[in-house]
Amino acid sequence: MKKLSLFTICLIILIGSWVFLEFVVGGIISVPIPNSVIAMYMGLIVIAILVHISVEDSQFREFLRPIHETLVDDRRRTHRRVLVVLIPLFLLGYTYAIIAQRANPPGSPRDAHPSPPLELTYKDEVIGTMQDVVNPFRHYEKDDPEAFKAHVENGKRVYHQNCFYCHGDHLDGQGHFAPYLQPLPANFQDPGIIPNFQESFFFWRIAKGGPGLPAAGTPWDSAMPIWEDHLTKDEIWDVILFLSEYTGYQFRTFGEAH
Amino acid sequence: MKIRTIAFLLILFGTLAVFSLTYAQNAPEASERGKEVYENSCAHCHGIEGRGDGSAAENLLPKPRDFTRGLYKIRSTEAGQLPTDQDLFDIITVGMPGSSMPEWETALSTEERWQVVAYIKTFYEGFKENENPPKQITLEGKISYAEQSVEIGKELYVELGCVECHGNVGRGDGTSAPTLTDSWGFQTWPANLTQGWNYRGGADTEDIFKRFIGGIAGSPMPAFEGDSFLNFGLTAEESKRLIELENRDEMTEAEEEESGKFYEKMDTAVDIALSIKEGAEMSAAEMQTYNDAMKVVYEKSWHLANYVKSLMPEKRPEPAIGNNVLRSQYVQGTLPAIDDAVWETFEAGYFPLVGQVVIEPRQFNPTIDGVHVKSFYSDTEVAFLFVWDDRTHTTGDEIDEATGKPLEDALAVQFPVKVPQGPTAPKPYFLGGGRLPVYLWHWKASTPEQVTELTAKGINNAEAQEAQGELQVQSTYIDGQYKLWVKRALKTEDKKDLQLEPGVFVPIAFSAWDGSNGDVDTKRTMTSWYTFTLEPVPSSRRFVYPPIIAILSVGLLFGLRAFVQRRNTEDV
Ligand code: HEC
Ligand code: HEC
Ligand code: HEC
Repeated sequence: MKKLSLFTICLIILIGSWVFLEFVVGGIISVPIPNSVIAMYMGLIVIAILVHISVEDSQFREFLRPIHETLVDDRRRTHRRVLVVLIPLFLLGYTYAIIAQRANPPGSPRDAHPSPPLELTYKDEVIGTMQDVVNPFRHYEKDDPEAFKAHVENGKRVYHQNCFYCHGDHLDGQGHFAPYLQPLPANFQDPGIIPNFQESFFFWRIAKGGPGLPAAGTPWDSAMPIWEDHLTKDEIWDVILFLSEYTGYQFRTFGEAH
Repeated sequence: MKIRTIAFLLILFGTLAVFSLTYAQNAPEASERGKEVYENSCAHCHGIEGRGDGSAAENLLPKPRDFTRGLYKIRSTEAGQLPTDQDLFDIITVGMPGSSMPEWETALSTEERWQVVAYIKTFYEGFKENENPPKQITLEGKISYAEQSVEIGKELYVELGCVECHGNVGRGDGTSAPTLTDSWGFQTWPANLTQGWNYRGGADTEDIFKRFIGGIAGSPMPAFEGDSFLNFGLTAEESKRLIELENRDEMTEAEEEESGKFYEKMDTAVDIALSIKEGAEMSAAEMQTYNDAMKVVYEKSWHLANYVKSLMPEKRPEPAIGNNVLRSQYVQGTLPAIDDAVWETFEAGYFPLVGQVVIEPRQFNPTIDGVHVKSFYSDTEVAFLFVWDDRTHTTGDEIDEATGKPLEDALAVQFPVKVPQGPTAPKPYFLGGGRLPVYLWHWKASTPEQVTELTAKGINNAEAQEAQGELQVQSTYIDGQYKLWVKRALKTEDKKDLQLEPGVFVPIAFSAWDGSNGDVDTKRTMTSWYTFTLEPVPSSRRFVYPPIIAILSVGLLFGLRAFVQRRNTEDV
């Protein structure tokens, strides 16, 4: 087999990296990468190639040789003719596509877990500071397993009368209303949710819902209801017990690393 | 190399075989594990004792299945038979679309699903008493989908009275639709056949076929049970002729006699079918009559299934989210009226609706699936066409007891009063609450040519604007589908109105009320915020710059060549 020229190798590396980022990582592994990040990676690769070929003079000349030949060598006349048609055609199409592109709506950056207020309240009643409040029924887990079970059972009832439409039967955020809400309902099976928060944080989110979020959480988009209007304090604590019992995840307690 | 390939194939097939063995086995003996799974995952809907009365059931319709009566909707078995274990396993695995019955493939292992099948069978004695396995429907003789079959199916659809429940084009808007109850006494709606994604038992032609032959137990939907439904015993021509005769105002004596003969023939066939069901011995001639009659029934059912299949799009439309926003198209001059054919020429933006479950009174069981929206604008005006399916035309004759307000069909379109500038600028709240007010168009079925402009600061806090703008409105209700057409000036004098401009992305949301489903006030269906824009007329620069760049590039290439050539000669 003929040895590939340095130029072709560089071209293959470039196209290969792009295909890898766009289709393998973005498509098959399905971690879509924003275009700006792809552009950055591609820039880095181009720089690396330039550094590599310009280290030695001979290397650089070797790199330029095919370009040079295509431009002037008589044996490459057909190549030349094809390219002089293809390159302008490509640019024509590309610039047209860019100019005629439809404008798309701006994305909405959203902090899914903004800082909570310092004080935890239910309606207007102050329960305590966000840091210190603990679930009043949590201690039954050790002290009185029967009572604990009753609270979890009640939490399960509350959940299935109020929450599963959005958060799903499996607590995975896939309720039958969920696909049509933006942002999506929280997925409690995600290992990054329950273990990262104190129970008081969840109490706050459940009691105040979407509208209780600070501006960074774009409260105007969230469909999460204000549950203090419908549920008692005890019911909210019970449903929190149910969330951790069903998923098997432990809430963070104060003092643990975030 | 070869040995390795063979070894690989052996391992592959071995694994597959083991998998399919575990899959094909029937439900194991009921076990503690099945009970545990049931109580953890199912009891809050289906009840601890399987009566369909779990704590969540209160809010749900259709109700979770009561397992104590042995009535199952989705079966591969003939009418009146129990489902197979595999039927139960399958429905638990995939769930029942259009109801709250979820899929369990993600949450339960294959084994756990088999265990729970065994457990729910213990709620009904019939499963134990029946030694004979249930009789399964054969799919042999399938008539594949073809124009001609669809045509025959369409005739049968009218002949057999499907229209009375499912309506002329299948939107579930037949005259009997609002009157139906299921075997448990709860209200039930005929399926909207144009929405395959909401079929409980799947929308493949085979699935639909099985529903006709096996029936949907517990539902008023008629099924073939060896009775006169599907005119059992008559050939296709005979049954057509019979229906033709019955539709006459008067019959001559000869015709009376003819139709009488048909009835006799059907009675004979039904009698034979009943005897066979009871296990009686039949003569060869009787068996022949029965088999011929069955063949016709199967053929008819395939044609029907093909027709039903033709009523639905291939899949549920994609919601208009992300970059797929609702774009209003520019036209010069007057905007198209409601009945203009141009509306049919492009795809609508689809906005699926969900029940409003946030504020009392709540709607847990929505009957309106979604709104389809199209729009055009000109230099001065914008026109919208909103289309949505609703099984009944309800105009407020009935009063809701809880609120004292009339129950009627309605649609509301919600915009912010001012378009938020930039992605992080506050929008009005979801449901219109919060600091920023929303601007609403409210249409009601009782005043079909009128849209009221409202300003709202919350879902319960909307007021009609004092200055009602010049909105032009037209609407129709045909075959279970509303069409509403609204036209407004892009710019108005009123400060409380939204002002529109091409190229600006405007938040938009919808609410819909189905009066016959008890929708009133906050009991309704709704969407969260979506985006709408007047698509700017494409810039004419797109014809100028690209040729310039192309020509420049040609020049550049030639220049480069000249440069290289000169260098070469210099080098030499
Ligand atoms: C109408 C749909 C809906 C219902 C019903 C609903 N939620 Fe939510 N919930 C959401 C959405 C959407 C989000 C994500 C947006 C947000 O964070 O506000 C969310 C977020 C949450 C969060 C925040 C999780 C986190 O990662 O910070 C908690 C906790 C929560 N919901 C609990 C509940 C509980 C408990 C119920 C029932 C009492 C419930 N939700 C009912 C839609 C809903
Ligand atoms: C959120 C409530 C809910 C949960 C949880 C639920 N179901 Fe259901 N289930 C329903 C509803 C509602 C129906 C009836 C739907 C209909 O009739 O259209 C149903 C129907 C069924 C049917 C009858 C299918 C038929 O052909 O008629 C079976 C079997 C079933 N469920 C099994 C289960 C099992 C097993 C579980 C637990 C692993 C479970 N369900 C959990 C709501 C639920
Ligand atoms: C008495 C009213 C009535 C008549 C007549 C009727 N149906 Fe139905 N049909 C229903 C109801 C009610 C349902 C919903 C069943 C359920 O899910 O409980 C339904 C459901 C269906 C479904 C959906 C099955 C699924 O998997 O969800 C199809 C398909 C269907 N009908 C076709 C037909 C055809 C074809 C005819 C004429 C042969 C017909 N129906 C006649 C009442 C009727």
